[in-house]
Amino acid sequence: MKRETMQTYITQNNLNALLDSLIEAGVRVVAPRISAGTPLYEPLSNSAEMVMDQLPRRSAKEAFFPVCEDIMSYKKEGQQVSLTDIDPSRFPETVMVGVRPCDAAAIPVLDAVFSWDYKDEFFLERRRKTTIIGLACTTADDACFCTAVGISPSGTKGSDLFLTPLEDGGYACEAFTEKGEALITGNSLLFSEATSSKSLPIAEPESETFDLKKVKSWLDEHFEDPLWDGIAVRCVGCGACAFVCPACHCFDIVDEGTEKAGKRRKNWDACGFWKFTHHASGHNPRDLQPKRYRNRIMHKFKYYDDKFGQTLCTGCGRCVRICPVGIDIAAIVEEISKK
Amino acid sequence: MDAQKIDTSIYVAVTEAIRNEAERIISEGEVYAIVGYTMGRRKASVQPIIVSDASAAIKLIFTPASLNNLAVYLTKAKKEIPKNGKIGIVVKGCDLKALVGLMGESQLKREELYIIGVPCVGVLASTVQPSRELTSESIAPKCLECDVRMPVGCDFVPNVSLPKKPQIDAKYASEIARLESLTPAERWNYWKEQFSKCIKCYACRQVCPFCFCEQCLCDRNKPQMVETTPRPAGNTAWHIVRAMHLAGRCAGCAECERVCPMDIPLNLLNRKMAKELKELFDYEAGFEVNDKGPLATFADKDDQSFIR
Repeated sequence: MKRETMQTYITQNNLNALLDSLIEAGVRVVAPRISAGTPLYEPLSNSAEMVMDQLPRRSAKEAFFPVCEDIMSYKKEGQQVSLTDIDPSRFPETVMVGVRPCDAAAIPVLDAVFSWDYKDEFFLERRRKTTIIGLACTTADDACFCTAVGISPSGTKGSDLFLTPLEDGGYACEAFTEKGEALITGNSLLFSEATSSKSLPIAEPESETFDLKKVKSWLDEHFEDPLWDGIAVRCVGCGACAFVCPACHCFDIVDEGTEKAGKRRKNWDACGFWKFTHHASGHNPRDLQPKRYRNRIMHKFKYYDDKFGQTLCTGCGRCVRICPVGIDIAAIVEEISKK
Repeated sequence: MDAQKIDTSIYVAVTEAIRNEAERIISEGEVYAIVGYTMGRRKASVQPIIVSDASAAIKLIFTPASLNNLAVYLTKAKKEIPKNGKIGIVVKGCDLKALVGLMGESQLKREELYIIGVPCVGVLASTVQPSRELTSESIAPKCLECDVRMPVGCDFVPNVSLPKKPQIDAKYASEIARLESLTPAERWNYWKEQFSKCIKCYACRQVCPFCFCEQCLCDRNKPQMVETTPRPAGNTAWHIVRAMHLAGRCAGCAECERVCPMDIPLNLLNRKMAKELKELFDYEAGFEVNDKGPLATFADKDDQSFIR
C-alpha cells in the first residue's frame, strides 16, 4: 500500500532557522556550500553558508561513502601488536539538505550494493543516521540527462523530505518516510499549511528517453565490439568520471603508516585507472583504456541491472561535464540505444 | 569594464586548411593517422579524435573550444594509440612546446611527426560553457600570457594572418605576485585549503604530456613512496612531487588546471616553477629541442648561494 505523504510549506527563513537549530543541537547538517571556490556538499557551520542554486561538483554519496575513511588502526609496542576498530555507533546524526534528485536517487542504488552479501556497517550506519532533504531542480544545462534514464528533476526517489521551490520564495515540502515526518513534527512551528503559491519552473533536460532494456540487451551480446575502441581510444585513464559520479562505488583498501603505528583506510577507486584490475602476477585483463571504459558502461547499464534490476546511472551529467577528453556517456548510451 | 570581444574568424579558414592537409597526407600515405579535434554532442563542444581514414578528415575542426593538448596521445604512456611510423598532430603554439620538450627528452622523434600548427587567438577557459563567445572574460588564462600565437617549425601552418593581440591583463603573473606577497604561513593555508579538495583522480597527471612514466612513483605500494589516499598528507605530497617533476619541463599548456574537477589552480605551481627557472638559469622550456634541461645538468655559473 502506498503511504499517504505529509504535505506542508516552509519559508526560506524558517528553513534556515531549522538548519541552525539542528546545528546548535549537534546534528551534522550537510548541504551545498562553496569550499575554496568550488561547490561541494559539506557540513555547514551555519545556514548562511548554504548555496541552493549550484549543483555540487561532487555527488551526495560522500555523506555515506567518504572519499577516504579509516577503518582500523594498529600499534606495535615491543612484540605486542594491538588493533583498534572504528566504532560506527559514534558516527553523527546527519541531515542532508538541498540534495538534487539525481543525487538522492543514487542513494537507494548504493544501499543495494552496501547491504547485499556483506553488510557494510560504515555505509549503513551513516545511512541509518541520515535524513535526506531533496530539492527540485530549477536549473539544468545540456549535460543533464536525468529524464533519459528515468529520473526526473522533481523526482523524490531517495528523499525523506522533498522541497519544491515556489514563486513566493518558500518551499512546498512533502515527507515520504518516518524520518522526513519526524523532522516536520519535531519542528512544527517552522512549517505551515501548503500555500497557493506556484512552483518555480522545473528544469527539464532536453535529452530523449533511452530505451534502457534495449541498451542492456545490446550490451548482453556485445562485450566485443568496435564501438569500444571508437569511443574510448582517447580516454586518458583518470578517475574523474567515477569520482564525481553519485552511483560509482568501487573502493580500495590500503594500510598506511610506519612499523610502529598506522591505519587501514578505505578510499574511492575507479575502473579507469590502469591499476584497477592489475593482477599481482603482472597480468592485466583490462590492459587498455577501451576495455576499462567498456567496464564502466557495462557495470552501469548491464552488470548492476543483472544483479539489482536497476541502472547505475542517474543522469546527473557530472562525468560529461568534467571528462578531460569529452567522453559523453549520454551520447554513448544514445548511440547504443539506436543500434 | 565590459568584456572585450576576441575575433576568432580565422578559425573557419584554419579548419578548412586542416581538413585539406589531413586528407592529403593520409591519402598520400605520409602519415598513418592524425590526432586532431572534432565536434562533441553538447552544443559547440570539442573533443580529441584520431583520424586514420582520409574520408574522415572532414570531421576535423578548430574552434575556441579546442582546449586539449593533443601531444599527450603521442607519449609512450598512451598505449591505445598505435605507434607505427609517422603520425600527424594538430597543435596550438602552447601544445607545440610540449612536443619540443618531448623531443628533447627522447620521447618523440621529429621525423616521425607531421606537425600541423594552428595560428591561434586563444581558446575558452575550462570554467565556461563551450558555446560561449571568446572574450577577455571567457578566454583561458594561459592565453593572456601567450607568446606563441603563431607556431614555428611545423610541417604545415594554415596561411592566415593573426589579428592584433588584444591588451588584457595577465592573470597568472598577478596571482603569483599576490601569493608571493603572503607570509609562508598564509601561503601554506592557501594551498592546504586547495589541496584538501583533491580527490586523487589523477586527471592532472593523465593529461600531462610530461607525465609519461609507465609506473608513477605516487601509485607504488611496495614500497609506498607517498600516501596514496586522498588525505592532506598524501594530497600535498602528490602536488609537490608533481610540481617538482615538471620544473624546467612544463611549458604552460595548463591542461592540469583545465581538467581538475576540483578547480585546484595547479598551473600557478607550474608558473612559479617556471619563474624560478627563468631567474636562476635564464631558461624557458619549450622553445628549442634541448636534451639537457637546466635541472639535468651542472654548470659552473649555476647559482650556488644555497650552499652556506
